[in-house]
Amino acid sequence: MADLLELLVSATASGCVYGLIALAYLLVLRPTGVINFASGEWAMMGAYAAYVISDAGGLPPILAIPAAALVLAIIGWLTEWLTVRPLVERGAGHLAPILALLGMLVIYHQVVLLSFSEDQYPLDGPFGFGRIEFGLLAGSYQDFFIVGATIAIFIGFWLFFERTVWGRSFEAVAINRRAAALMGINLRMVTALSFAGAAAIAATAGVLDSPRGSVEANMSLPLAVQGFSALIIGGINRVEGALLGGIVLAFAEDLTRRYAPIPSGLALGVTPVLLITFLLVLPNGILRAKEAK
Amino acid sequence: MKRKSLLIAAAAAVAFWSGSAVAQSTIKIGVITDRTGNARFYAEPVLSGIRLAAKHINANGGLLGKKIELVIEDDGNKPDVSASKAQKLIDAGVVAIISNSSSTSSQQAQNTTIKTLTPHVTHNGSDSLTRKLKHSCFFQIGPLGSIQIKTLMSYARAKNYKRVALVTDNSALGQIIAKFFKIFLIKSGVKVVVEQVIPAGSKSALPQMQKVRAAKPEAIFQAGILSREMVLFFRAYHQLGLKQQILGSFNLSIPSYLRTAKGLMEGVAFIDAYDPRKPEVQAFIKVYTKEHGKKPYSLPAYGYDDLGVLVQAIKRAGSTDKVKVCAALKATHKWVGVLAAKGTSYSFAKGRAGYPVEGAVVRLIKNNDHGPVVHSGTK
Repeated sequence: MADLLELLVSATASGCVYGLIALAYLLVLRPTGVINFASGEWAMMGAYAAYVISDAGGLPPILAIPAAALVLAIIGWLTEWLTVRPLVERGAGHLAPILALLGMLVIYHQVVLLSFSEDQYPLDGPFGFGRIEFGLLAGSYQDFFIVGATIAIFIGFWLFFERTVWGRSFEAVAINRRAAALMGINLRMVTALSFAGAAAIAATAGVLDSPRGSVEANMSLPLAVQGFSALIIGGINRVEGALLGGIVLAFAEDLTRRYAPIPSGLALGVTPVLLITFLLVLPNGILRAKEAK
Repeated sequence: MKRKSLLIAAAAAVAFWSGSAVAQSTIKIGVITDRTGNARFYAEPVLSGIRLAAKHINANGGLLGKKIELVIEDDGNKPDVSASKAQKLIDAGVVAIISNSSSTSSQQAQNTTIKTLTPHVTHNGSDSLTRKLKHSCFFQIGPLGSIQIKTLMSYARAKNYKRVALVTDNSALGQIIAKFFKIFLIKSGVKVVVEQVIPAGSKSALPQMQKVRAAKPEAIFQAGILSREMVLFFRAYHQLGLKQQILGSFNLSIPSYLRTAKGLMEGVAFIDAYDPRKPEVQAFIKVYTKEHGKKPYSLPAYGYDDLGVLVQAIKRAGSTDKVKVCAALKATHKWVGVLAAKGTSYSFAKGRAGYPVEGAVVRLIKNNDHGPVVHSGTK
């Protein structure tokens, strides 16, 4: 029982990381219809930014998180401004921005590889490495910190979308871009903010995840795949769906590795199997879209 | 117009003449390395050792009265690129080639060097490198994988382990090392009670390590190579309060693990080719520290010995003629380099893999650093 509970804490933390990447996908997807596979690269770049800020800049790890998010928000905004906006304004097809962002994915990756002399870097969490127990629940400091930070972020986004005029304007654009524009909503601003916000959230996911392992360029692809799978599982229409999808995916992965009577290497197939199953059986994900008000 | 053409012709003649002069005053040694691919993390430190050896030799009178000129090509650890880079180096007039990315890349480069019988050396450890092609001028300088594993097994035997766990990742090399660990463990009469894989991209190794804990092994063999997954392994090991001895492959001699898993590897036993008890190692540490301002680990020593073996052969050949250099390499006997355990030496008398069978050592991680040698050889 103690093993199971400790595993659930760890899996919840992993699910939170997946959920944040799924949220980064969602923030771009909803108002623009663009699937941004560079979300994993943004997470990786966020981790590198936090490493530079805390190692060279001497900032404490807790402050490196918002600082890295800010750096990536600027990169996200520049990406939209330089690659996506010109394509949209020239009437390029729906696929063009997705392909442009795939191109940016390669550029991001190579720039990071060429800019850093070592392949891996350590990143300290705000509370260091250690184990803590809350009654029957036990886990590492970082796992509990990831869960707490993610809940705070999701509550913040939920309040933003549900309780603010700006959030409602995002939702309006997601429902119907043309009608939203006719109502006076600034589409350029909404799109730019969605890219900046998505990059900041992805960066936060990367920074939260890195103290559990290390900062390295190759961390991006698994995060992109797992985040996208979490998005599909949770449903692409709701903010809370991203988190739910992430947690379902992480539980499936870790419980399979721990308890399924198969070689642990085969548990690698959990993510693609779950993704395909949801696409076939429940294509809208676990949470359905809310009725438009 | 005519005057301009004359000027261009004159400039070209000067450039050609000066280029020839440079070519005549140096002995070119080609290096195929990985500066942009997935082997970069160990290829770069090895390259620093090759550069240091060249600098050291040049500062001490050079080779056959000439300076050594390193011609470096990046193959990104892509085997097909490695073969074409070998050709490029041969066309550039190198006397010999050092391969410094992965075994598969070295294997492909051999397909090119065999045609011109260009002397070709590598420190790569794959046992099959000298078996697939009958390339009489290809020589392996580093410790073979089988020597490394036999040395670790010899250490395990001395510890009398009967039940062990085997953990790896899903990288190709990690899987191969795990496979050989298992074969040798079973041969040694040791039972592998649990086998676990930590796949690339994992967020935690807790499920795998809980299974390891449940199987109650006496020791844990770690065959993985992926850095991030290695940190997950060590974090889960400590989080679950495990106390068993961890025994790692030669990959744990790569110092980047000490940085990413800082403070988590205390007491881990790992294979190394570097014996700090040797005077040659102490001399190397002095030279390297003076040059780079920091203490070296074993990786730069691989590069230092790569060039060292080549240079002693060229000296004995007394010429850069490829046939003569090949013969001199083949005749290398009892050559003591920086690598290999105290009291052992390189020899190509019995084959083209010259690293001494008893040359690998087992060391422990101590104070987050590569610590003392606790075992040496395969017996």
